[in-house]
This record gives sequence, C-alpha cells and structure tokens, in this order.
Amino acid sequence: MNEKCINISDVINLPLDIKEQIKAVEDKTPCVVDGRLKVYNPKQDNVKKLLELLKPKLSRQVVSSMVGCVHCGMCAESCHYALVRPHDPTMTPAYKADQIRRIFKKHFDWTGRIVPWWVHANSPKDDEDLKRLKNIVFGTCSCCRRCTLNCPMGVDTAILVRMTRGLLTELGIVPEGVFVVSKDSWELGNQMGVTQEDYIETLEWMEEEIQAELDDPTFKIPVDKEDCDFMYTVNPREIKYDPRSIGNAGKIFHLAGESWTMPSWGWDQTNFGLFSGDDKLGGYIAGNLYKAAKRLRAKRIVISECGHGYRSSRWEGYNWAKYEQDIHNESVLITLIRYINQGIIKVDPSRNPLPVTFHDSCNIARSGDLIEEPRWILNRVCTDFREMYPNRTDNFCCTGGSGLLSMVEYKPLRMEVARIKAEQMTATGAKQVCTICHNCVDGLTDVIKHYKLDIQVVQILDLVAEALIIPEKTEKK
Amino acid sequence: MSEFLRILEDEVQIVALTFMGTVYILRLIWMFRFKAGKELTDPAGNPQVGIAYSMMSVAMPWAMESVRQNWNFYAQFVIFHLGVVAAISATFIIPYWPQIFETSAVVHIFQLALGAAFAVGIIRLIRRITSPTLRLISTPDDYFSLVLMSAFFGSGVFAVPNQYQASELPLIIFFIMTTFFLVYVPFSKISHYLYYPFTRYFLGKTMGHRGVFPRKRGGEQPAGLE
Repeated sequence: MNEKCINISDVINLPLDIKEQIKAVEDKTPCVVDGRLKVYNPKQDNVKKLLELLKPKLSRQVVSSMVGCVHCGMCAESCHYALVRPHDPTMTPAYKADQIRRIFKKHFDWTGRIVPWWVHANSPKDDEDLKRLKNIVFGTCSCCRRCTLNCPMGVDTAILVRMTRGLLTELGIVPEGVFVVSKDSWELGNQMGVTQEDYIETLEWMEEEIQAELDDPTFKIPVDKEDCDFMYTVNPREIKYDPRSIGNAGKIFHLAGESWTMPSWGWDQTNFGLFSGDDKLGGYIAGNLYKAAKRLRAKRIVISECGHGYRSSRWEGYNWAKYEQDIHNESVLITLIRYINQGIIKVDPSRNPLPVTFHDSCNIARSGDLIEEPRWILNRVCTDFREMYPNRTDNFCCTGGSGLLSMVEYKPLRMEVARIKAEQMTATGAKQVCTICHNCVDGLTDVIKHYKLDIQVVQILDLVAEALIIPEKTEKK
Repeated sequence: MSEFLRILEDEVQIVALTFMGTVYILRLIWMFRFKAGKELTDPAGNPQVGIAYSMMSVAMPWAMESVRQNWNFYAQFVIFHLGVVAAISATFIIPYWPQIFETSAVVHIFQLALGAAFAVGIIRLIRRITSPTLRLISTPDDYFSLVLMSAFFGSGVFAVPNQYQASELPLIIFFIMTTFFLVYVPFSKISHYLYYPFTRYFLGKTMGHRGVFPRKRGGEQPAGLE
C-alpha cells in the first residue's frame, strides 16, 4: 500500500475558486441575495471582518481550548493525517488549531497582546493568509475528534477548526463544494439539491418495489400522516443514490406493524452546517426537522443511518436552532434493537454468512452515544462479526468526514492519509465492512477503490433486511 | 542566616505569591466573562459522571490511547509533576517548617524527586528541539518555560538540604527563581493547570451528557433494551 506523498504546499496554496459564487450572484439566488449565504468580496477588509466575527464566537468552552494547549505534541500520535505523514509537521492537530489560536492570542489574550512574538501571536495579513487558513481547516482535518479524546489537557481542537470554518464561511472563503452544498441546503432544505418532486417520486417508487417484493398492496410509505408513533427522517443520499435503504427501513417498519410517517418537508436529517461551521444553516436545517415532527404531532423522531446526521439532529441541532428538545429523538438502530429484542421482527443470521467488520463513525462514536448498539445488532444478524482495531472511540475516520467528500481538491491528500484506514480494514480479513453512516459509506468506498481492497461496504439496515424472516402470508410468491 | 535571605524566603515570596494570586483571580474573571453554552437536548448519559471521568483522566493512563501507547511519556509526566510538587513544597518548608529538612531521609527523597524531574526536563527539552513536529508548534515561551522549570528543579536539589550555614548561595538562587516564577507563571504556558479544570470540565460535560464518557470498552448494555 505504498502511496506517493502529496507536497503539502500544493494543498496549502490551493486557490480560492469562486466560479459558483459568481454564478449564484448572477442567478440572483435568494439565499445569496438576502445574505444568508455569503460570497467572497475581495474589496472588503476581510481580516478586519474576521476579527469582528470571532469575538461573538468565543464561548468559555472555545476559550479554554484556545488557552489550554501546552504544545506537548501528543495529538500528532492520534491524527490519521499526522500518523501517515510523520515527515510533515503541518499535519499536527496543534499546528492546525494554532492557526486560529495565534489570532486569538494577538487580539484577546494578555501575553499575546503585549509580547506577541513570545507566544507566536499574530494576525493574518491579507486575503492570501485567509485562503491558506481555508486550506488548512477545510483540507487537512476531518474534525474527527480523535485528537480531542487523546489530548491530556482535553483541548477540543475539532471545535476550534469548526469555528474557524464558520468564520471563513461568513467571508465566502470556502472550498467551492462547501459553497454549493450550503446553497442547496438553504434553497431546497436538503444538502443534495433534491427537489420535492424527486423526493415524493422516489418514495412512491420504493413503495411500489416493496409492495411487489412482499406481494402486499397494503404496504405504504406514508407521507405527512399525523399522530404517528414516529417520523422517519433520512439522508438525501438515500433519495438520490440509495433509495433501497428507505425501502428496507419501510419494509421492517411495516412488518413490525409500526405507525410511522415521513414528512414532505423537513426530512433531511443531515446538516452541512456541522461541516461548514455555519450555525445559522445548522439551526435552519435542524429546525425544519423539529418543526416537521411538531407539525405532524409525531411522538418520536427516528433518524436513519448517518453519522453527522445523527450528531446534528440528535445533539448539535437543538443548540444551533435554540430549540429546547420537546420530542424524543432516536437512531433507527435503537428502533431495530427494540424490534429484535422484543421479538417483533425475526432475523436469521445465517443469511449473512460473509465475515463482516464494523467501522465506528466518528460523529457517532466520539460525538454521539451509539457504540455497543450496532455491535449488538451485528451479533444477531451476521454469523461472522469481527472487530476492527482500534475501534469504538479509538477508531480512525473513514477519511471522508467533515464534508471532505464534497471538497474534491483535497482528495489526493485524503486518499494518501486513508492508508491507515485501508490497513485497518485489511487486517480484519472481512469481506464486508459495515457502518452506520452514509458519509462513511462513500468515504470507505473511495478508500476501497483507491487501495484496491476486496471489501464491500454495507449498512446495518442492509444486513437486517437481508436477515429478516418474512412471515409466510406476506412472503413473495 | 543573612537578613537578605530571610526577607527573600519570607516577605518577598508572600508579595510574589499575592501577585500571582491576584493575576489568577483576574484571569478567572476574564475567563468567566466569555459566554457559557446552553444545552437544550435530553441527555443520553450523566454530565456529572462525564465531568468526573474527564477530570480524573490525568490519573487514568489506560483511558487514552495516546498514553497507553506512550507509557514512557506518561512516566515522564508523572516524574516531572512530582518534581513540581516537591519544588513548590520546598518553597514553603524551608522558611516555615525547616525542621522537616533536618531529617536526611526527607531531604534525599526531595532531592531524588527534583533530580529526576530535572532529568525529565532535559529530556523534554531535547525532544522539543530535535522533533520537527514540536519545533514547528513550539513558541519561545514553550522553550523558556521548560528551561526555567528544569533550572528550578536543579537549583532545588541543592537548596533542600537548607545548609545556609555552609553557603547561602543555593538558597538565594532557589528563592530568586521562585520569585521570578511566581511573577512569570501567570503569563506563561506553565499556568496550564489553571485551564485544565476548564477544558476537562467542558469536554466531560459534553461527552458525559451524550453518554460518550466514561468511554466504553465493550460489553456494556446498549440503549433500547430497557
């Protein structure tokens, strides 16, 4: 698995591409016109603006991570970028965090204001410095929080990187992919540009598919049905590239006799605000979801398999939206565990005989709460489940986290540092790698293709659907 | 004992200590002036347990992979900080409870702790100078703090016997360094111990609330089975 090393200056000095921003301005895209989504303005003093934006972002939690780093370098031994590129000190998480820390020190911290050179405090000089900052925080960190959990001081480098991304997003100094996905999110309420029509048609298509599979015309994917036990929310990737996962979920809910629905609006449980650092976008998307559940008087929100989607909808979204949680919110894994444990659905593990390993999504293992849950299910729906090492909160990122899948310019570096993930998967000898995140599915698929591994990526719903014992009366004839 | 040494050991230290305490209080006020976050989600775990777990992580070397794979580094950390405890203790014992250092075994224990910490300080300094990663992230304050700490430990080795009758020089050096420390520390990275409770508290609160802390090692009951 030898991999050519990327020259880091090729990444750090990548130019700011604003073609899509110009197009959005020319098209008078509403979110750009009304200022919800910012575009780059070379005529304004962007450094001054960044400093103005920084002040209100400084919470006690952020400041403690700004001042708490002792530069011990332990973070370098936990970051997949730094581990794969030991010759490149710019991959050290502390170095990446120092890019915003030095600005903070120069303008807010005592020693940095008086003797800046003593603590390496300084300000960006111009837009070129901000563009380099963009490449560091977007291109060389997947915000996986592995360094955070391995920092002896408890410094949360990931929140500093995310906050810096948010500052740059407010200046339009972002990778083109981040701008495009943010625009789609603001305009269509989902991050993949899925129209209402496409969404409804896909659900109808899946409904027909499962009706045929079960030979059961009573099977429905209900939309906007009120007073259900739960509202099911999905990743737009499922609508666009993997509708079968919605069909599988629907089939399981149907066989469980569940009362459920999907909303016609506010169905995207993913949230690009987490990646761009834009709390306003985060609050808007998450707010759509919570309001939809309220509108439909659903008793619960069930979130399909997605790492950042789960983290955003279950944890961060309420805080971004300033919305006090009023409805129970759970991952579909919890729903599945309930069904299997209570015998509501029956599964036959022999239907999944291939050796399968599990990849913990960073956003769920290190920033969420589902660690044993997927393993509990895998041990019941597969015959040969093998752990990947390290695992759980120590697992390595799929390398596609934090929106990196949408930032194609950083892919060569991402694939280089994916070596560690490829080696992890290969060591298991598994033929399938299961993950509970659609983002990880694409991230791992890239790794598998790049390193030519003989492994297939699957998700829990795929495996449960495969193992599902369908009662006689509805079994396909 | 000369009057100079007596004043240096006592009044000067009290003034310097008061200065440090005052700066720390101002620093804490500064920290608390930043807004606190508000958590609006239902918990999946216990934030209090998470905070306790996070705070105690310094005493749980098995809890972090970075430490599990670097026992040597953790051992250095323990030795270095035991040296800190010994040095700080000595600054109080010498002027106020000198009889403690009349027992040679106690003196030897302190000298051992300070000498070992001095050695670790030198190792850390060499590591910081020779590692490209550490060189890139190190500031002048990082180097100076390490040199200063090592020198402080080294001077402590000669000061703890408290033999001012033979020569006051080791004690004068030790207490001049202590004075400088008390004034300099609040502005340097050495004051990281002031921030440790903050970083650990916030991380522990968030992770405890979400059920990530205490970290799971397998075998726990998953949610959804109740």
